[in-house]
Amino acid sequence: MSALLEVRDVAKYFGGVKALDGVSLTVPEGGLVGLIGPNGSGKTTLFNVITGFYVPDRGSVLFRESSDFVRINGLNPNEVFKKGIVRTFQIPRLFRSLTVLENLLVTPIGQRGEGPLRALFRGSWSEQERELAKRAVELLKRFDMLQYANSKISELSAAHIKMLETIRGLMTPAKLYLLDEPTAGVDYAMARELFSYVKRLGNEGLTFLVIEHRLEILMDYVDYVYVLHNGKLLAEGKPQEITSEPKVIEAYIGV
Amino acid sequence: MIGFDVVGFMVSWLTLFGIYAILSLTLNLESGTAGITNFGKALFYGIGAYVSATLTTYSVLVLNGVDVSETPPYDIRGIILLGELGNKNSLLNISFTVLSLVTAFAVAGLIGYLLTYPILRVGPAFVGFTLLSAGELLRIFLQHYEPVGASKGLMAIPTPFGWIAEGRVRELAYLGLVMGLVALTYLVVHRLVNSPLGRTLRAVRDDEIAALCLGKHVPRTKATVLFIGSGFAGVAGVLLAYYLTSVNPNMFVPLVTFNVWAMIILGGFGNLRGSLLGAAIITFVDRALTFVTPRLGVAVISPDYLRWVMVGLLIVVVLLVNPRGLLPEGPIKTPALDVIAKELRDGSK
Repeated sequence: MSALLEVRDVAKYFGGVKALDGVSLTVPEGGLVGLIGPNGSGKTTLFNVITGFYVPDRGSVLFRESSDFVRINGLNPNEVFKKGIVRTFQIPRLFRSLTVLENLLVTPIGQRGEGPLRALFRGSWSEQERELAKRAVELLKRFDMLQYANSKISELSAAHIKMLETIRGLMTPAKLYLLDEPTAGVDYAMARELFSYVKRLGNEGLTFLVIEHRLEILMDYVDYVYVLHNGKLLAEGKPQEITSEPKVIEAYIGV
Repeated sequence: MIGFDVVGFMVSWLTLFGIYAILSLTLNLESGTAGITNFGKALFYGIGAYVSATLTTYSVLVLNGVDVSETPPYDIRGIILLGELGNKNSLLNISFTVLSLVTAFAVAGLIGYLLTYPILRVGPAFVGFTLLSAGELLRIFLQHYEPVGASKGLMAIPTPFGWIAEGRVRELAYLGLVMGLVALTYLVVHRLVNSPLGRTLRAVRDDEIAALCLGKHVPRTKATVLFIGSGFAGVAGVLLAYYLTSVNPNMFVPLVTFNVWAMIILGGFGNLRGSLLGAAIITFVDRALTFVTPRLGVAVISPDYLRWVMVGLLIVVVLLVNPRGLLPEGPIKTPALDVIAKELRDGSK
């Protein structure tokens, strides 16, 4: 398997705090890669660097386009998105005045009706709109949320909001999905449903980098795991290797 | 109420309503739907009015062989000449109207785009105050710029239907033009709001960061909306100039902008029918006061001053009692709603 994303020696400092201190990792194309570590270990900071929210103080982020690797650090978040990288947020950032359906429909890139002139002529975009709506229905049905399609975000439970954040990301075709704790606050059965769906998409060739604290679920689905601790890579390997690694256990328990 | 001209009142109210409706509909698109704090509506309104006044007065004089360097339109002789020559050729007057509308839309829209594109990256308060101060700068500039009449402004502007001798018919024809343009504005804004673009605008309003993460080019989207909104504000300015047949800088004080804000706050943020309702209510009160004031004779406080107190009070009351306004924002009407409705029906069977 060839690499899709390469993070090379990335460092990000906030004053004296070394949020990331020389992290290198590789995400191969297709499948699920886990990113774990105790609170404050730099997982979300790494997501922010990859997606263009932070400019790293050192190092580079490379993303493969056809056969070449291009640097994506220094691009704006919307430009990173256009390269084919979609992220979700740890604390969901849904559009609160929009309905569930509208939240999903806003995502896909290249919608014809987003241009001011085409928006005036419904015929030019209504067919595409119907197709997007069907895709949204399919996703909502899978996670048993179709009945909330026309609800406002404020009427949803915390778990549904968390799920919707991930579903919204899946609405748009991308090469790499960065999911930040997709199952926090979600019940066990639903969390497993989400991961098995993501796993299937991974087998079909999509790539996921997932931050997760619920290791008992995560480890059943991921192909490879990176462990961050104090801004540095502590360990990496297959799930079974990681769970038995003494350094990881120590970092988590904090002895 | 002896001698109260009901039809005259209605015509003047509806004409004023139409002009303000164009402003409130587009401000609602900019501020209600897209969340841009546009405190500079009067700027683009003023640009439109001055474009049409300048273009029409100068062209009419030049086409009639008057040397405008000798007899400019703001000069007393120019004003007299405009009164004599201005309303003879129906085709010419209508052509100037069309030309003014198109030019005003383009100029006001372009200035809206260029002015906002660089500043939209900073916070909403900065956008509001930049536009507010730009409006004031223009007003002060116009007060001292001789070719457009400085503080006196331009008068005796030839109007689109000035060639109609019968006063009432002329007023009604003008009302027809205004209403036609209100309908056009409503159609355009309604379509934009109920489209993928409208959805993106609401998303940007709700959470700019998340929208950026979903690949939306936030500054460009906002600037485009300001192009459209400012262009139509320019059109409203043209209609005002022809309606009053004169323009002067003090017609475009910031209070005008806040009057339009009061309309959309009262009618409901993000609801287009609300904008029409808000514009209708506030212009009705405004017209009613101008009819009532002369009948009161000498009063301790002129109702003209009370007008602004009332507008301010209205904003405070609406925000306290029902911040969403009279009509709340509705769902985005696209074919996606039909798809969902069908699915929900099939599911419940």
